[in-house]
Amino acid sequence: MRPETLALTIITVVIVGTIAFALLSVRKLKMDPHEFIVGSRSFGALLLWILLAGEIYTSFTFLGAAGWAYGKGAATFYILAYGTVAYCIGFFLLPPIWRIGKEHGLLTLPDLFMYRYGSKTLGIAVAVLQFFLVVPYVTLQLTGLQILLTIAGYGQYNSTAAVSIAFVLIALFVFTAGLRGTAWASVVKDALVLGAVLFAGIALPIRFFGSPLGMINHVLQVHPHWMTLPPPGIANAAYTVPWFVTTILLSGVGFFMGPANAPAIYSAKNGETLRRNMIFMPLYQLVLLFVFFAGFTALAVVPGLKGPAADQSFMLLMQRYYSPAALGIVASAGCLAALLPASTLLLGAASVFSKNVLGDVFNAATGDRERTMATRILVLVVAFLALTLWIFFKTSLVDLLLFYYVGITQLAPGVIFALVWPRVGPWAVGAGLIAGECVGFYSLHNPIAPGGINAGFYALLINAAICALVTLLVKKKPTVVPAG
Amino acid sequence: MTPAARFTQVALAAIPPIMLTLAIPLVNREAPRVFGFPFLLAWMVFWVAVTPLFLLAANRLGRPR
Repeated sequence: MRPETLALTIITVVIVGTIAFALLSVRKLKMDPHEFIVGSRSFGALLLWILLAGEIYTSFTFLGAAGWAYGKGAATFYILAYGTVAYCIGFFLLPPIWRIGKEHGLLTLPDLFMYRYGSKTLGIAVAVLQFFLVVPYVTLQLTGLQILLTIAGYGQYNSTAAVSIAFVLIALFVFTAGLRGTAWASVVKDALVLGAVLFAGIALPIRFFGSPLGMINHVLQVHPHWMTLPPPGIANAAYTVPWFVTTILLSGVGFFMGPANAPAIYSAKNGETLRRNMIFMPLYQLVLLFVFFAGFTALAVVPGLKGPAADQSFMLLMQRYYSPAALGIVASAGCLAALLPASTLLLGAASVFSKNVLGDVFNAATGDRERTMATRILVLVVAFLALTLWIFFKTSLVDLLLFYYVGITQLAPGVIFALVWPRVGPWAVGAGLIAGECVGFYSLHNPIAPGGINAGFYALLINAAICALVTLLVKKKPTVVPAG
Repeated sequence: MTPAARFTQVALAAIPPIMLTLAIPLVNREAPRVFGFPFLLAWMVFWVAVTPLFLLAANRLGRPR
């Protein structure tokens, strides 16, 4: 068998097998919006763990973290830290978010804004923002998928067609199975990704340098200071300490604000399940260390990849030095790491649109059966939008990712104040949100602001400050306060 | 939950994030190597690894809200 045929066959079998496994797990369920979108709020600690862990292992971590280790050095360590910051915040934040959701039947993050601030307009604004920001993020996963399929195809196939087929398949899967199906598919994905990452981070350095430490010594010899951040003040040094610290804070605070996060939180059986997950989730993050090792090894063995090409780092090394079967298995883990997070994002965005735009604005599709159907159709619509965007604008993806993070993180002050500061009202949150988005998007052409700080962080500070200021200026009046 | 317990709980949960952000300027160095790891990487791995202990301790003080 030709190498590309073998590798791609393995990938096909793994993807189809995973989908079949998940469909079998949910085949007897009756679908209503609560089952389809938030899994009937019944997920225990283990299934929730697997669903939440999906947030960590996207194709950005699988390829991007290694690519940053390859191309930028110590800057990549921020990926290890921001999740931990997020879990420490989530320890306090998630249980009350879950409880309010349970008590009032909420399905999405815009629902929370609408309920807590008593403003339909604010909720709808949040919904529209989440819906459109998700498209570039899904698009990014498609680019990851393309890198994997191109390498696994040894350059023999048209990967655009392969990516489109894989993506349509996963969209149809979400259409059928909803959130619970995605969680079950993640069981297979997590096991495979864990195996692939441990292999890439341990076996690769051992093969070429005797041990991971041998590899670190070699990299530091060839690239001095590669595993420390450049001190501020050095000309052209973009990823300095101030950037590092503010990026960790920004990403940590914004971690749970995406359209896929609120449904995952609401899917928990109770608040205790969420808290236990937040406590132990940092341990799972440590696996990222091995992704860094894989990237550093690739830097030492296959140097010379520039810019976005660095994302191919250790997969290219696998292709050159390992059998097509090994390449196929590792690549299929990566493909699942791109497809499954994309599927929860599709579902999240579709839920937001059907509930908060169709339902709350147009008063359409409010019955159980109609809402499930509308959400299903919207899954396919978002998938189509993302695929189209990807086919036409592949090149500007780094900008799109920044766009997503800067945009989505601006929702954090509204969510955090909702829980800790009863006096904050819709006007304050709205004003902060508008200011934050304006500053954030204006600064996109120069994402590293004066002082070497991540520009999105300025936007977040301005957002929170304006929200606080408006709150203190407007006359105090009773607002809806979630029971404390 | 008493205000003092509440404060301790938040303080406990705040220590790892502070070590992973504000403390970075102090630990951005290669030496001393820890089990062969550059110091910055060893520091970050250590604090991520012990975060569950801090959150467990915070959890024992009572349910946050």
